[in-house]
Amino acid sequence: MSITRKNIFIFFFILSSVFIGCKKESSSSNSQVVIAIPSDIERINPLFAFSINEANINELLFLSLVKHSWDENGGDLKTAPMLANSWEWNSDSSSITLNLRNDVKWSDGVPLSIADVIFSFDVYSDPAVESYLYGAFLNFITDKDNHIIAEKTFEKLSETKLKINFAPGSSPSLFNLDFPIVPKHVFEKIPRKDIATAKESFAPVTSGPFMFEKWEKNQAIIIKENPNSFLHQDGTIERIIFKVVPDYSSRLTQLKNHEVDLTEYLKPEDVDELKKAESFVITSLKGREYDYLGWNNIDREKYNKNKSIVPNKLFGSPKVRQAISMALNRNEVITSYLRGYGELANSPISPIFKNAVDEKLLPYSFDLAKAKTLLAKEGWNDKDQNGILEKNGDEFKFTLTISSNNPRRIFAATLFKNTLKQIGIEMNIEQVELGMLIDKINNKNADAWMASWIIPIPLDLKFSWYSNLATTPMNFPSYQNKELDLLLDKLETKISKKQKNEIYKKIESILHRDQPVTFLYWIDNIVAYNKKIKNIEVTPLGTVHHCWTWR
Amino acid sequence: MNRSFIALSFFKRGATSVLILFLTVSLLFVLVRIAPGDPSQKYLSPNLSPQLFEKVKSSFQLDKSIAEQYISFVKNAFTGDFGVSYKYHRPVNEVIFEVLPFTIIFSLSAFAVQFVGGLVLALWAFHNHKKFLDKFLSRGSILLYAVPSFVSGLFFVYIFSVQLKLFPSSGIKTVGTLEENIFLLGLDYLHHLFLPLVVLSLTGLPIYFKYFRQHFEEHQEKLYTIYLRANGVAENKIFSRHIIPNSLNSIIAYAGVDLGILFSGALITEVIFSLPGMGRLTVNAILEHDYPLIIGCTLTAGVLIILTNLAADLIRMKIDKRLIKGLIN
Repeated sequence: MSITRKNIFIFFFILSSVFIGCKKESSSSNSQVVIAIPSDIERINPLFAFSINEANINELLFLSLVKHSWDENGGDLKTAPMLANSWEWNSDSSSITLNLRNDVKWSDGVPLSIADVIFSFDVYSDPAVESYLYGAFLNFITDKDNHIIAEKTFEKLSETKLKINFAPGSSPSLFNLDFPIVPKHVFEKIPRKDIATAKESFAPVTSGPFMFEKWEKNQAIIIKENPNSFLHQDGTIERIIFKVVPDYSSRLTQLKNHEVDLTEYLKPEDVDELKKAESFVITSLKGREYDYLGWNNIDREKYNKNKSIVPNKLFGSPKVRQAISMALNRNEVITSYLRGYGELANSPISPIFKNAVDEKLLPYSFDLAKAKTLLAKEGWNDKDQNGILEKNGDEFKFTLTISSNNPRRIFAATLFKNTLKQIGIEMNIEQVELGMLIDKINNKNADAWMASWIIPIPLDLKFSWYSNLATTPMNFPSYQNKELDLLLDKLETKISKKQKNEIYKKIESILHRDQPVTFLYWIDNIVAYNKKIKNIEVTPLGTVHHCWTWR
Repeated sequence: MNRSFIALSFFKRGATSVLILFLTVSLLFVLVRIAPGDPSQKYLSPNLSPQLFEKVKSSFQLDKSIAEQYISFVKNAFTGDFGVSYKYHRPVNEVIFEVLPFTIIFSLSAFAVQFVGGLVLALWAFHNHKKFLDKFLSRGSILLYAVPSFVSGLFFVYIFSVQLKLFPSSGIKTVGTLEENIFLLGLDYLHHLFLPLVVLSLTGLPIYFKYFRQHFEEHQEKLYTIYLRANGVAENKIFSRHIIPNSLNSIIAYAGVDLGILFSGALITEVIFSLPGMGRLTVNAILEHDYPLIIGCTLTAGVLIILTNLAADLIRMKIDKRLIKGLIN
């Protein structure tokens, strides 16, 4: 048997000829846009839109009663009509009357009606369904299981007029109406507990500016324009393909290769090369995610044993936490690692909420001498001259737990370890798998950790800062402050926007003073997209937003 | 050896395999549950109400003891029901059967390239014994073996996809095409899978090359070869009828295990080229604490490894009947 060079040449010639003749994979067509997503979605049903990608896709497929967009100048949300043409609040805001459009049809041709709206509220709040909004209808009239009581809540005034009554004493807003309406005629036939796994949750009947076309599992989700939608205009992108590309390097390669048109969460170090290519627009979505160093404010062992709240020996004092914040060179991470795609964080209130943040409040500057003095005032001194501070016989030593697959946090932790050492604090770094980190934080089994929060819009602080640990499981540092609780409670009452903003400023000042965690930096989500796409508006609400206006 | 003895031996082997699978799955069932983290973690977000968090936990049966969960699992498993995947919200069997055809075809193709490629190159090297080509292929195979697939994958993508634009960089077919012509569709699949196939094959090809090359050399010096040669049997005949079959025997035993492992998934290649295979499915299931799917994937991989080993043994028995007794026992 022998293989000659001639045979090899012929083999490769034939192979090349065949593949050069194949259709090139290219996204570059005005009729479609390919968006890279890192993992496949679970369902296409807005009831279960737990992930960002699911929410984004559902937003294009299903209409809400009202729609919120971002007002860059005002630094806040603004409301626009969608299924509801107009609305009117009664004098004490205990009810609202909606005038609905009568020209909207589901993708199977059935008209969208008030029955769909009432059904949607009912099904979203039904405990049997376990929708992503279950438990969020606190302003509505509900039973003991938080299920909306439809008979008391809704009054159908005409075929297009619906009155919604809210719970007495509640403070409802239009945000309570901003969720996708689902088709009653599709879901009413399915037992509520089975909706999550029903085939209708994978190939939906829709009402939005786009319709479902195809879902190639683990490959792509394809949606197409809905020419019958009132949002449809000439020039709307015909198809949007959400292509599943799990590997970051592959996403970058495909962007450069024009196999995808848009990708998010780029690493700062890749930006310069993309800029050179000149065929991409690089922009960033600011102020949605911040990294923080979490300190367990209470003694976790005592809490886990008998739920008693005793200050943590190391991190129990606000002054000590302030000192640690001063000993961390956060700017170094912003310049060296984030390459400017981030900014110092002062509190969990993002600078994008222009009227809610106190601009006069300055971040703690990197000052090792001041940090050391502050620690000394709190009784932490290095009496035995071993380089580690002591107080009442305890040395200032602790372990910081971080996720092993996050290079940014590994970089920052190493940097912080070195600067803390200079003020006599010994910090060991423990890298664990993300699931294990979440498990530790969630079960209060970590003294110190580094993680991030993606903040909700509209602003919500109660879920992570309210003192009651039983009702606030996401208060991971177990921060206790009665003054803050009162302010958070007040935010839920009927007060003006201006009053709310004043409260937010007070909350910001308290959290800045107490440093329950060290707020590190807001991290930009760097977005790159092909220049051929016009009209993309990258706002804090997202990138894949208002796609029907893209050209 | 009578037929009933062979049948009994196969039954014994089958029963042992089922027992091993059962024990593996039972051990895994407990291990994944006592490992830190649980499937409700991924729902943690500012938008999650405490009420929903409690409901989610109870829907994953996390409020029940591991023993209770295990009993319920065993009862259902005997009816072929391995539960519903926490991530895909569909029966585990359905999710696995969706990726299995691709995995089997892709693995078999890679296996064929590795095996045949290794054999051909070994023959080529052997016929050029101790010449430049032999040395080049031997050293080259070590180099190839040392390059991990995440490096070769990215290298091939850079050269053939980014620079030469000959092949797409990922996926199994052009996304969104509604190709009706089966020939063109097949070509589209081939176009997409060519690079991944090369990358996956490159990891195993040097091993088969080395095995074949080494066995050819060993058998060349064996007494039976010298005897045949002394009796004037032509060199070609000795090689094709004696050396190759004898070399194949031990290599097939290795190939049986190798193919089984390939069927369990080629994670790195699947991730780099965004391929929907068993490897990606299994790892995602582990990362997301999708307990039913982890069990389903492990069981599938176990069954495939047992089957490929059985197939390998049957082939070996066919080649060399002397092995029958040893293998079925």
